[in-house]
Amino acid sequence: MDNTDVNVVYSVQHQLPLVMYIGQYFFFTGLSAGSFVISVIATLLGRKEFKPIGKITALLAPILLIIAPLNLILDLEQPLRFWHLFVFYNWTSPITYGSFLLTAYPVMGVIYAIMVYTNRQKAAKILGILGIPLAISVHGYTGFILALAKARALWNTAAMPTIFLVSAMVSGIGLVVIIAAARWKWFDKAATVEQREKDKRLIIQLAQFMAYIIMLDLFLILSDILVLLTAHSDAYQAGMLILTGNFAPLFLGVEIFLGSLVPMVLVLGPTRKSMKAIVIASILVNIGVYAMRFVMVIGGQSIPLS
Amino acid sequence: MARKRYAMVIDMRRCIGCHACTVACKAEMAVPLEVNATWLKIIEKGAYPDTRRFYLPRMCNNCTDAICARNCPTQATYKRDDGIVVVDQHRCIGCKYCIASCPYDTRFINPLKNIVQKCFFCQHRVDAGLEPACVESCPTRAMVFGDRNDNKSEISQLLASNATTVLKKEMETNPNVYYIAADETVMSNVEKGINYRTEGTITKLRL
Ligand code: SF4
Ligand code: SF4
Repeated sequence: MDNTDVNVVYSVQHQLPLVMYIGQYFFFTGLSAGSFVISVIATLLGRKEFKPIGKITALLAPILLIIAPLNLILDLEQPLRFWHLFVFYNWTSPITYGSFLLTAYPVMGVIYAIMVYTNRQKAAKILGILGIPLAISVHGYTGFILALAKARALWNTAAMPTIFLVSAMVSGIGLVVIIAAARWKWFDKAATVEQREKDKRLIIQLAQFMAYIIMLDLFLILSDILVLLTAHSDAYQAGMLILTGNFAPLFLGVEIFLGSLVPMVLVLGPTRKSMKAIVIASILVNIGVYAMRFVMVIGGQSIPLS
Repeated sequence: MARKRYAMVIDMRRCIGCHACTVACKAEMAVPLEVNATWLKIIEKGAYPDTRRFYLPRMCNNCTDAICARNCPTQATYKRDDGIVVVDQHRCIGCKYCIASCPYDTRFINPLKNIVQKCFFCQHRVDAGLEPACVESCPTRAMVFGDRNDNKSEISQLLASNATTVLKKEMETNPNVYYIAADETVMSNVEKGINYRTEGTITKLRL
């Protein structure tokens, strides 16, 4: 519609309701879910060379998931009332699913980590299989938090939970690669040359896996944007905001270019055997996913509604 | 007796843009500086010399299918039987999800009390048999409040005999604030650019 002859002379400003604590929370749960899935895959495959990675990730998942909800509580205007979430729940609200998932998942994660560290393979496998749906829902529901807030065109898409899950996998694997590489560099000296070579190959494989998931992520983002640009006017505005508007540098520059394309080239291109390149790629991937959380949470809210 | 369903009709032909409703709301609800439960949006349409100003009073629509109440994790926001959407100030944890979900930007954090507030048709006055403060203060009677399930009320007669519309019908929240003589381009025109205060976006510590 042609609105050129309509001008707002006076209106009031509004607050930006959700600040970056929420984005950080998404980031940390994402890391946690990603590392948990990697850990379970390592446990299930049960090969000896996967053990160290399975152990690191089993520890990471609950630790990250204890940091994550702290962001949520800090974001509350009444942090001391957080227990209201459990007493006065509302089943139509995605935050209510979250309060229970966020309690169950770290408990399960801690038990799983104990099983992994005490070498109880069978129990670890069963817990791992049971835990994967929990890990997926703990991160997937954060996508629903955004998708069900229907006022915001950038969030209100059925692809949102999947996009969140996939980017969680990407950043989670990135973190695991960084930690595994640090272990390989500094704490793996006692191992034989052959063993070190094996470990290195494993880290490289992990990084390649990450690159393939980045491709999936890019595909999802592309389909999301294509639909935004052809849907109703608010959605179009949201699409343009991240393509040409204020959030374009962060979205196109950091999230897509630095956080997805560059790491993909580093991991799959001519530098694919270099440990340094892989670590840089993993760091970039995490910066990119953090930027994605920022673009989603802050960008989604910065389209005026009134 | 049939269930009450409170609603408001705002006649944009009558509004003269005096801001009396904004002031009355501020006083009645003790709304702090920087936030507003009711405000006026002034919009100009057309090119000189054929122009006209529209005054669009804005407040919570107390929607029939309120997305804020649906999304509130603690049921602090809930719908009364008479249709007014209220916030329980002692239950609200300030997660702000309702603010993010509302398509009309009508909710705000009260910076003094650290909880969410909005217009609830002055439920305390309505319960005492009075009209909301804004309605009572309006010098041109551009705002009319009442029970739309009561056939004899002024509001149900206004709704029956006028062409009315609501804001953002496509959001399917079924607002209970109706506008008479509201121009489509005026109602749908949001400000270009950012009209949010962005300070404290990243690190504001609110303990
Ligand atoms: S206008 Fe917004 S805050 Fe008011 S009832 Fe509707 S959705 Fe809720
Ligand atoms: S801020 Fe308060 S009223 Fe709004 S959704 Fe959270 S608990 Fe409910």
